[in-house]
Amino acid sequence: MKSAKDIWVFGDYRNYFQNRVTLQILARAVDLATTTGGKVCAVVFGHNVNNYVAEYIAHGAQKVYVVDDERLSLYSLETYSRLLTRLAKEYKPETILVGATRFGQEMAPRVAKQLGTGLTADCIDLEIDKKGILVQIAPSFGGNLIAKIITPVQKPQMATIRPGTFQEQPHDDNAIGETIILPLPKDLPEDRIRLISSEYRPAKKQKIEDADIVICGGRGMGSKGKFKKLFDLACLMNAEVGATRPVVYSEWISHEALVGQAGKNIKPKILMSFGISGAIQHTAALTDADFIIAINKNPNATMMKMADVAIVADANQVCLGIIKALKEKIRD
Amino acid sequence: MDFNPCMKHQLIRKTVREFVESEIKPHVALMDKESRFPWEIIEKMKPLNFFGLQVPKIYGGADLDTISYAITIEELSRVSAALGLCVTVHNSVGIFPILKFGTKEQQNRFIPAMASGDSIGAFCLTEANAGSDAGGVETNAVETKDGFILNGTKIFVTNGGVCGTILVFAVSEGRDKKNYASVFIVEKDCPGFSVGEIEDLCGMRANPVSSLFFEDCKVPETNLLGKMGQGMKIGLIALDTGRIGIAAQALGIAQAAFESSISYAKERQQFNKPLSKFQTIQNYLAEMATKIDASRLLVYRAAACKDSGKAFSEASSMAKLYCSATAKEVTDMAVQIHGGYGYSKEYDVERYFRDAKVTQIYEGTSEVQKMVIARSILSKPS
Amino acid sequence: MLNIIVCIKQVPMVSELPWNSKTGTLKRELAEGMMDPASRRALEAALQIKENLDANICAVTMGPAMAEEILHQAKALGADEGVLLTDRRMAGADTFLTSHILSRFIQREYNSFDLVICGSQTSDSETAQVGPQLAEDLGIPAIGYINKISVKENTVEVQRHVDDFFETLSMDLPGLVTIDLSAYKPRYLALEGVEKAFENPDIRIIDAEKLGFNDDFNALKDSPTRIIDVFSPTTQNENRVLKGAVKKLVDQLFDEYGKVISSGMGKDLKTHEHDEV
Repeated sequence: MKSAKDIWVFGDYRNYFQNRVTLQILARAVDLATTTGGKVCAVVFGHNVNNYVAEYIAHGAQKVYVVDDERLSLYSLETYSRLLTRLAKEYKPETILVGATRFGQEMAPRVAKQLGTGLTADCIDLEIDKKGILVQIAPSFGGNLIAKIITPVQKPQMATIRPGTFQEQPHDDNAIGETIILPLPKDLPEDRIRLISSEYRPAKKQKIEDADIVICGGRGMGSKGKFKKLFDLACLMNAEVGATRPVVYSEWISHEALVGQAGKNIKPKILMSFGISGAIQHTAALTDADFIIAINKNPNATMMKMADVAIVADANQVCLGIIKALKEKIRD
Repeated sequence: MDFNPCMKHQLIRKTVREFVESEIKPHVALMDKESRFPWEIIEKMKPLNFFGLQVPKIYGGADLDTISYAITIEELSRVSAALGLCVTVHNSVGIFPILKFGTKEQQNRFIPAMASGDSIGAFCLTEANAGSDAGGVETNAVETKDGFILNGTKIFVTNGGVCGTILVFAVSEGRDKKNYASVFIVEKDCPGFSVGEIEDLCGMRANPVSSLFFEDCKVPETNLLGKMGQGMKIGLIALDTGRIGIAAQALGIAQAAFESSISYAKERQQFNKPLSKFQTIQNYLAEMATKIDASRLLVYRAAACKDSGKAFSEASSMAKLYCSATAKEVTDMAVQIHGGYGYSKEYDVERYFRDAKVTQIYEGTSEVQKMVIARSILSKPS
Repeated sequence: MLNIIVCIKQVPMVSELPWNSKTGTLKRELAEGMMDPASRRALEAALQIKENLDANICAVTMGPAMAEEILHQAKALGADEGVLLTDRRMAGADTFLTSHILSRFIQREYNSFDLVICGSQTSDSETAQVGPQLAEDLGIPAIGYINKISVKENTVEVQRHVDDFFETLSMDLPGLVTIDLSAYKPRYLALEGVEKAFENPDIRIIDAEKLGFNDDFNALKDSPTRIIDVFSPTTQNENRVLKGAVKKLVDQLFDEYGKVISSGMGKDLKTHEHDEV
């Protein structure tokens, strides 16, 4: 039953159309497997999940392990993590990759612990080194730096991957994959967590991850009151507002708006960055922005260096200036 | 001798800093611009014991040592010198004399409301013809069979516009026809008491410094603090204490100006390099840092002196003299480093500069501090 | 009585530590420590539980000796006891080992606990892994990112908003929760609290030996993950720098990039709602 070089990708399909992380990881796993030689496998738990199985195969999975049972119809942290642990112990994959959704971030640590292996959180890249070891690349040390992390001894190697990090492969209807259907073990302990109610409540109409124009603000905006002017600007520009971690921690804006580590990756056509110095945990989430305009008093800030247009001025003043100019434009 | 702050003092600093940075800092510029006393911020400060810093727990205070007290004032003033002034005057010259000279009955009656912040304290000595020279006080107190009647006008009273409990320095003629100075506790709803116009001052604009009027103001006999004729003694001890607070306040202003200068010097580019790479600017920064460090040591030493029960008059005068000079010089250099921006209200250093000057004037001018210090050093056996 | 253990961490106060590009190290010594903001919320949740029922709050942290400060702070805020797990050999622990060390403490020194509360993620490493892994070590259930918790008989009921689902869940005790960064806004510390905390400044200090680790225990070595390289990302794209008066800058921006800026205009100008906190 050994499948020592396989890369497993946990099939996180809840909220499917918004949550593309499984497909994104599959795409990267296919790349990695060309070096390591194992198979790319998806693991799917749930009830009536055939369409997801087909989808994962169409997106690069060569093998899909499926446990399809009515009792799995709702995501359950305890059952899912025990189940994944059991399968991993039985089939011994080389690597398990999990999307860093909230569910993935809760489940992966428990599986890693049960398997006695390491886990790197929120990776922004994956590589294979000369010895065939998975190099997990993640922001570290307060997000100021990027660390390359490996799990040299224990197996499987595990990592969670930030949504939006990789590009999914195009859907390929002709792709062929093996499906292995497994029964739900009878001896899984009873869940100690019970779902009383669950309601689909998407946070926003437009998601910052998908927005074409994003306005990000940092501490350089000065105060919560001044920061709020960015909403006026966003309203005028039909943009979404994002923020850096210090701003979120100061409660100038809710955590939903956090761009960067523990928050969102964005890929706007236009990014306007106000009063942001550019710590790596933030800038790593901006690499797919097409055009960046940064405003900061400090011309040496990292954010200013990576901008297409760097405006050396007080961020708040420029924000007010643009609002005024745009309002005049509307009137014209 | 240990120059490192202990964990408690570090935590006091962080505790105050966390609150003032998030709750006060965003409003300071506007408070100054509008000369507005921020009651809504006072409400938030009340439960954190800002108004009963050294008041015993039985009266609802935090019972802090004097170093903690100085750190609190320093950190508060680093963000808002005007509120630092309000709090230090309230705690030192408002509350402290009642704790030191008041009867149990007076303490029970006045301290809880003051310690909670519901009644803000003020101390009034200065008059049109009396400032540094306390002997010139003209406000008089006439003893009647059920108390005293006060008449006179006090000027430049810190917290004047918002005070609830006022210590009034007044003179009365004794049976021997000599004048005796005494201190009376007046509450704001006392008949005959009224608040004059708020002064239009150069700095500290968020503090409602005003005149106070006493027109046949009747106070009960139980409102006499200490004994008749103890006024000068009470006043001097109150001011000795107050000086530690004002020194800490000046230190906080200097610290703010220094921090602003450091970040500006690193950020601002001239001739294709940051200001901080120019030796002239480095000289300024080195001088600022050294003066601030010396100031801090003087304040904490004076505070430690008071805590250990030793005479601290000389130490507190030295701290006040030096810290206020530091505040003036450091804020001046800060404006200079900021150049044109420093002179603009867009940057805070302009406010620091205006706020700093008065620390050399109130609670005993620098010249008076030198008198106190000289008297003290010359009285020692040589 | 409900025995609550709150796991807290000391983190550097500045979010962007000075970085020495020559030696490739962080100037950590320049940063003052503070209680991690998420830990602060975890403690706040515990304090609010204690307001309504008889509870004992034990704040525990693993870290260097200077981390003692946040335990005094926790006590000043209302925790009943503070425990510092400190040992040179604990340094360099990854989440696997950190959670293991914490679980050793809880199992050996505090076996009658009911509820463990952690922050969802610390501000310095943000892995969000220690909470779930600690629960696994303790063999208890855990729910992450919660916004609200209420304690019932032998269970807790929690609410959370994760992955676009608003959920209400019930969990058996003993159990562990992690508090979302949007919930349980921490109270300010009153100065009186600081004074009180130092009237009884006892902090239990526990080393590796006391936790039953043998002589060759070394968290850095024993951690399953290893950091093999750390680097500062460099960016070298040609960029345009505009300087001058704000008014002039805005004009220039519109002259040259007006199309870009107004590319999203014209649709949905008024219905955009603010995301209030």
